[in-house]
Amino acid sequence: MRFLMMVKIDPGADRGEVRRSDLNAMDEYNQALRDAGALVAVDGLRDSSHGSRVTFEDGGAVVKDGPFTESKELVAGFWILELGSHTEAIEWAKRIPFANGEGVEIRQIAEDSDFENIK
Amino acid sequence: MRFMIIVKMTPAQENAVQDPSSFEEMGKYNQSLVDAGILLAAEGLTGSKDGAIVTFRKGGKPSVKDGPFTEAKELVAGFWIIQVKSLEEAVEWTKRIPGFADGESVEIRRVAEIADFEGIMSPETIAQEEAMRDVLSKKAN
Repeated sequence: MRFLMMVKIDPGADRGEVRRSDLNAMDEYNQALRDAGALVAVDGLRDSSHGSRVTFEDGGAVVKDGPFTESKELVAGFWILELGSHTEAIEWAKRIPFANGEGVEIRQIAEDSDFENIK
Repeated sequence: MRFMIIVKMTPAQENAVQDPSSFEEMGKYNQSLVDAGILLAAEGLTGSKDGAIVTFRKGGKPSVKDGPFTEAKELVAGFWIIQVKSLEEAVEWTKRIPGFADGESVEIRRVAEIADFEGIMSPETIAQEEAMRDVLSKKAN
């Protein structure tokens, strides 16, 4: 089973500066995932000033450029993991070296077999 | 530049029954991304009932909340990762996504590259990151 773990942050919250020690801790965590054979992908996203939002309405697509200052939570990065169960995904998520109000949403990635009864 | 295109839906839209023809249209769209040589990943997520949210607090243990997230205003339903030259190009590709016309919203975000961390990460960490990415891309191929 593959899982998407999304890091969600409140862009308005003061999270302080990024410290090298935090980055080193994250690097160790990523290495542990890799050593376990669980890591498919890990990436961070630039802040929302580098992004846009496209909303689809009856009249067509409406584009709004970032930053998305009105958002209470924004995705800041993600992992894609290959694991045996949902429980394993939660156990790995708990080990992420965060301690500052971050939320991590774990979602299962659909596999072809999930679409069989629709197609 | 890599961009992550994140599809967001309301909890009600998440549970809507999908028309089989919408998969065909989406398949064609994805093929056009492949043909343009820009598609790195395209995935859909299962409903939030299969998910969980882990929240981290200072000095405390992480708390776990199981899905479904019925009170959420919007839920991620899927994503693409594409490699294009500019945000404008990413927006143009996004506008062509088929089957959305009912207020669905798609967020386009730039994926950070190693170069974005120069001066923040130590050179050792950057080297480790690059080595890890090499291994991951080899695994994927």
